Amino acid sequence: MAAQALAAAAFREGNHALAFPFFGAERRGAPVLAFARVDSKKIRQRTQVYKPDYVVVLDDKLMGYVDVTAGLKEGGTLVVNSPLPPEKIVTERPVKCATVDATGVALEVLGVPVTNSAILGAFAKATGQIKLESVEKGIMDIFGARLGEKGGRKNADAARKAFEKTTAGMSVGGRKFKPVKKWLPDYKELPLSLGLRVTMTEAGRVGPGSFDVNKTGSWRTFAPVLDDAKCTNCLICWFYCPDGAVVRGEKHVSVNYDYCKGCGVCVEVCAPKALKWVRTEEVEEKLPSEAIA
Amino acid sequence: MMQMKTQTEKKVVTGDYAAAHGALLARPKLIAAYPITPQTFIVEHMSEFIADGKLDADYMAVESEHSAMSACIAAEATGVRTYTATSSQGLALMHETLFVAAGLHLPIVMPVVNRTLAAPIGIWCEHNDTMPQRDTGWLQVYCEDNQEVLDMVIQAYKIAEDERVLLPIMVNLDAFILSHTVEPVDLLDQKMVDAFLPPYKPKHAYLDPSDPMVVGSFAPPEYIMEARYQTEMSMQAAREVIGEVTEEFADKFGRDYGGLIDTYRMDDAEVALMTLGTVTGTARDVVDSFRANGKKVGLIKLRFFRPFPARELIEATKGLKALGVYDRAISFGSGGPSWIETRHALYGHTDIPVTGFLAGLGGRDVTPENVGMMFDSLLGLAKGQGMPHVSWIGTRGVEP
Amino acid sequence: MTTVKELPVQDYFTSGHTACPGCGGAMVARIAMKVFGPNTVVYHPASCMLIFSSTYPNNAFKVPFLHVLFENSAVCAAGIKRALNRLGKSDVNVVAFAGDGGTADIGLQALSGAAERNEDIIYIMYDNEAYMNTGIQRSSSTPFGAWTTTTPVGSVHAGKVEFKKDVPRIMMAHDVPYVATASIAYPTDFIKKLEKAKAKKGFRYLQVLAPCPTGWKAESSKMVELARMAVETGIWTLMEYEDGKYTVNRTPKFSPVQDYLKAQGRFKHLTPEDIKKIQDWVKSKWEKDKALEQVYK
Repeated sequence: MAAQALAAAAFREGNHALAFPFFGAERRGAPVLAFARVDSKKIRQRTQVYKPDYVVVLDDKLMGYVDVTAGLKEGGTLVVNSPLPPEKIVTERPVKCATVDATGVALEVLGVPVTNSAILGAFAKATGQIKLESVEKGIMDIFGARLGEKGGRKNADAARKAFEKTTAGMSVGGRKFKPVKKWLPDYKELPLSLGLRVTMTEAGRVGPGSFDVNKTGSWRTFAPVLDDAKCTNCLICWFYCPDGAVVRGEKHVSVNYDYCKGCGVCVEVCAPKALKWVRTEEVEEKLPSEAIA
Repeated sequence: MMQMKTQTEKKVVTGDYAAAHGALLARPKLIAAYPITPQTFIVEHMSEFIADGKLDADYMAVESEHSAMSACIAAEATGVRTYTATSSQGLALMHETLFVAAGLHLPIVMPVVNRTLAAPIGIWCEHNDTMPQRDTGWLQVYCEDNQEVLDMVIQAYKIAEDERVLLPIMVNLDAFILSHTVEPVDLLDQKMVDAFLPPYKPKHAYLDPSDPMVVGSFAPPEYIMEARYQTEMSMQAAREVIGEVTEEFADKFGRDYGGLIDTYRMDDAEVALMTLGTVTGTARDVVDSFRANGKKVGLIKLRFFRPFPARELIEATKGLKALGVYDRAISFGSGGPSWIETRHALYGHTDIPVTGFLAGLGGRDVTPENVGMMFDSLLGLAKGQGMPHVSWIGTRGVEP
Repeated sequence: MTTVKELPVQDYFTSGHTACPGCGGAMVARIAMKVFGPNTVVYHPASCMLIFSSTYPNNAFKVPFLHVLFENSAVCAAGIKRALNRLGKSDVNVVAFAGDGGTADIGLQALSGAAERNEDIIYIMYDNEAYMNTGIQRSSSTPFGAWTTTTPVGSVHAGKVEFKKDVPRIMMAHDVPYVATASIAYPTDFIKKLEKAKAKKGFRYLQVLAPCPTGWKAESSKMVELARMAVETGIWTLMEYEDGKYTVNRTPKFSPVQDYLKAQGRFKHLTPEDIKKIQDWVKSKWEKDKALEQVYK
């Protein structure tokens, strides 16, 4: 919806614009990709954007394992939802960077950690390519149509607030990324009928039961934190966790942050209230490093 | 056809019985079917074989053709040989399942009794049920007589289950003209069929908890192009396999069907007609009578529609002055499907006119006179007389 | 009877699947697979669960898995089972997991056919009460009044006009060996029913209320709570039809339906008249349930 609202905002300024998602198989909360193209003349190209002028990151945890500046043009700008100043943002190479705590803004203005409207305010401020007023109108057009006048207005307010709070600077280079491996067999190696047994490939395990290679911990904005002493080991949280992210132990359970999507079910069903519900940023340093990266 | 090598039992049976008896000899483990005129005898015979203990198999009397093919797909994906049969509306109802059978490379064998597809609703012969299934990834063979139906069911399993192919196949027989017509048929010897057709033991798709496999996964764009290419490669490989199986069958059972196409009196032919299905038999007689009158006409029998025999047709039509293509179905706005495909196959290989004939739609009889009219037109065409791209034969108000 | 603590540690529905946080369907799959174990073949129709558990080349199920199409789950499961029998593997559980759309609507014909033939399969309908996979469109299993994208809240109509289709009773009419409903909020009842389904032969139908945070417009953390309230209000009956005997497993507290309704955005537009209609519906549903207990003793 952020990309759509940006396109609507650009249209409000007399431009032609396209916005489109990459339709993936993920459900709500999973990392997703969306693209927007803006031009003064009609845009005819219908491919994904590979060399963007601007990259907007709604969840800075993604920067741990996705090289978000990989395609960014020389002189392009990175806009990141983060409470950190641009100088603390580590990317593969130093780039123009603007940050805003859009999650904080969203929680304050909307009451939910949905940052796709707030981040557009930051985009307007960081790039100077579009007026804040147009962004607000674009948000009213797209969010308003979905959520009604009041909902649209709130989201426009979130964008304005984020605009005010955005700081610009440069990111720090030096982050190293392991090349992302994907199993892409040619037609001779691809199993007929896509029938797959458990198989080790150059990109890891595939086949039955192999979905655990997909670490869904990056989805969460809130995390359950366990007070070991309070846990009675009743296993109700283990029973319910839809992601199998509660691990059984001798005396108490523990949370596997590799997979915890932060749904909060475990916190709700915990009778002795041994699980606390904490915004991810506040606990992430205490979590195992692979849970973040 | 060649002389029979072996003397086995010959019985006077319907085309439907021939289709069922072929399945009996192939020993499928699961039959799932839904009755539809004029396929009903097939499912009745299969039920009887099982009820009488002649065939050790599950018969699933499912509630629709969609479920019939679904059950076959699921059972075949589990790892057993299956069988079903249908016709017309039933095949149309199966449409989406057909893509899955081919996409999962499941070598299901299915006789289809070619019947007109509504509207108007009718029960008689037309090929507008199978022709629209040409893009599903199924092999298709059209039969001329009841013996060919039986022989093709056996050969169909052998072709489909070949590891180079692993695609499903329709064995098509004309409604009533074969399905309900009796003629003497060699019912083959079970031991010989067993020696010809080994049991189905898939390596590519099976469901076994001791060796789990995912079959039919949701696939992102990274994989589907390659999967489509594999299906096309399988279809191409089928050309060679059909040739091999035709030869082996001829060797063991004494009947040689020619492979993808068959030809009749083509040696010095100046014009030729291509036919498919039962019109072929009638056309053989017409060729003989034209030849008796000194007219150099020949006949090409299109057996396999998928894979389409392009190379064979280029070869067979060399030296002709005109070619006519008979269809029992029409792709509205264009012409008969095999006429369209033949012109496409011959493009760049020939300068001769290739004209289309439509006859027998909705079950209207195609008479020797109708076929004679086609040959007369072709002889005229060879002399430079003009004619339309597609001619409707025996149609009131459009008589040529 | 197995307790929560006695369930195996081992998962046969793994982590890493891409269901929404808090997905009730994922809970159903994970718990059911713990009960069914490794000697199981799973069938999925086109559904949310297919998409979030089976994206090539990965799959969350550790057991053999087949997907064919949308409307044929019951017959595909039956085809698998019969083929396994033919291969001498008659001890394998064959389980279809299908949503309410794939069961109550487009899949009902195949479901009825397989039930009438008493095919030896376990059929689990995870009921999230709408077509969630395609983006929250109404199904015949969507409750009265609920907003969906095809029962929008407009100025003329607001929400679904019809009441929920009662598929368990349709299955009872087929007189199959086992029909039951469950709610994820009642673990021992749910586990017991999964175990019964596993132990019996013939057609076994289990319909489990599986709240959907996205489609119900509710907090993801509240999914179990909602599944409990549905039972306590009497909106969702926990029942069993076993070898001809009908049993209601739990007498509801009959807490007011609005407690359940107000916790979900899909009901927020309901008028007091709508809520009364639902309350009345609960009453008549309970009367029918009690009558059924008398008929099927």
